[in-house]
Amino acid sequence: MTLFAISFGSPIFLLALLAVPALVMLQVANRQRGKRYAVRFTGVAALKQAAGTVPAWKRHLPVALLLAALAALALALARPERTVAVPIEKASIMLVTDHSRSMLAKDVEPDRMTAAKRAARRFLDQLPPTIRVGVTTYSDVPDGTQTPTRDHDLIQATIDAQVADGGTSTGDALQVALDTLERQEDEGERIPAAMVLLSDGATTIGRDPVGVAQLAGEQRIPIYTVALGTRNATVPNPGFGAPTLPVPPDPETLEQIADASGGRAFQAQDDQQLSEIYETLGSRLGTRDEQREVTAAFAVGGMLLLLGAGAAAMASAGRLP
Amino acid sequence: MTEPRLIRPPGRQGPGPIPHGLLESLDLIVKRRASGALPGDRRAIGLGSGTELAQLRPYEVGDDVRQIDAAATARTGIPHVRLHVPERTLTTWIALDLSPSMAFGTADRLKSDVAEGVTLTIGRLAIRRAGRVALMTFGAGTPRLHPPRASKPGVVALQRALEEGVAPDGHHEPGALAGALRRIGRVATQPGLVVVISDWRDEDDWTRALGALAQRHSVIAVEVRDPRESAVPAVGRLALVDPETGDRVEVDTSRRSVRDRFAQIEADRRARVARELRRLQVEHIALSTEGDWLQALGRRLS
Repeated sequence: MTLFAISFGSPIFLLALLAVPALVMLQVANRQRGKRYAVRFTGVAALKQAAGTVPAWKRHLPVALLLAALAALALALARPERTVAVPIEKASIMLVTDHSRSMLAKDVEPDRMTAAKRAARRFLDQLPPTIRVGVTTYSDVPDGTQTPTRDHDLIQATIDAQVADGGTSTGDALQVALDTLERQEDEGERIPAAMVLLSDGATTIGRDPVGVAQLAGEQRIPIYTVALGTRNATVPNPGFGAPTLPVPPDPETLEQIADASGGRAFQAQDDQQLSEIYETLGSRLGTRDEQREVTAAFAVGGMLLLLGAGAAAMASAGRLP
Repeated sequence: MTEPRLIRPPGRQGPGPIPHGLLESLDLIVKRRASGALPGDRRAIGLGSGTELAQLRPYEVGDDVRQIDAAATARTGIPHVRLHVPERTLTTWIALDLSPSMAFGTADRLKSDVAEGVTLTIGRLAIRRAGRVALMTFGAGTPRLHPPRASKPGVVALQRALEEGVAPDGHHEPGALAGALRRIGRVATQPGLVVVISDWRDEDDWTRALGALAQRHSVIAVEVRDPRESAVPAVGRLALVDPETGDRVEVDTSRRSVRDRFAQIEADRRARVARELRRLQVEHIALSTEGDWLQALGRRLS
């Protein structure tokens, strides 16, 4: 879609496109005039038969090419711009990853924890190396925090080191990540930042995550949330012989978090989906839409068409159109 | 059918001189026996008064007693009558093409100029020996008939009709030739001579009408050609328009294949016309706008 998303720098020049229908009319008028200069000849029917009929498309090809060239040049005059995704050079992203006990659930292949680790790798691969990535892992409390760094391997190592156990303190973890991001500065300016929250259950401990999200929203730090897991998932109860614990994800809260902070909420039901979401996020957070002027391309196209029109006219009529 | 105003085509220069001496040496050769209204010197159909003996036969009741041949009656003892080949004047019908394609010529003169000359020559020969000449013009609206006239008034009528010129460009009338021939067939009841002067480019079928005419009359078909009609020269790209249909074509005449194919098509067309005329036992005289048309005509008439 981005290929055809073209806008114009000075659309007033698009009026030059009116030259195309004007030329068509001129051509028609020209044909009428040409009749007056024809030589009388009685053997026209036989000559027509001898010359054979040229297919209509072939007769109109030079003029059509010429008009196309003109249209392309008129478009070039209007300074067309294309929206392209360029890698962001400066940005900080905090991955906030849940490793509570519910991550042991095997509703996602092979289990939620492993899937989350794999998805994180895909995510990091998508990001340009200039982007700083940090991580906050949490269960009962936010227990591991790595400030944003360009060393993506280190982040991967931190994520891989997680062991699923304990409760879910989403609010606290978000607060830690937010504090970390707020401290990120570059030559006195705050670097654009975002958070990616992966959680698989309701918050059980600590402060209200939606409140923290509002704070983040005020700081213009969007939180992209990913709810992992299926509704009927269970994990074995730590107590001996006790019934299994249901661990459904909590997409409603995560959606509120995303809304409050200006991010987006995703839901992943399996490994594949999770990876896709992370890839999307990676390309979205790692790049920025930028208007690139493509005037040159249009001008070159117009010139090629012009050359084509000339060649076609020379071949069929022995003169320029 | 709208009646176009006749125009004198630009580039018209007349048929050129028709020397009297040359004309004297020519005569219309009529293969069939003609039968005019008046006694003349052309042998006619049937039996009647004349100078040449046709037959001697026994007298029958009702025969003119003045025709009884005394010598034969005396020789045989039975009354005989003497019958002669009738001799009559000749009526010549000229069918002249006035279509816009006749106002074309790239050599010495236009086709219409040649046609004009042929008409005058035939007309002058036709009025000899009390003959009469009629003119039927076609290709310019309804065929116009100038009725048979003898002597000087006949030629004057021809000259006046020829002065008017030909149909202007854009007048397209397929089937004009056949229509004119049919009309001559209706008005020319007595056997005579019909001379059709045209370029024979009418794409409509004229063979039936001509065939019907050839049944009764002697027919001479004069075809007027232009050298450019049989071959186009290599002069690069040309925009051409047909004077009759207004059909326009743009061709590259420097291409040999186009020229050759055109020559072939035109040669086929001419061959087809010649074949049809031969089949109908019509005398075919082909004249060109290039060179001396009178000489070519005279060679066939003398």
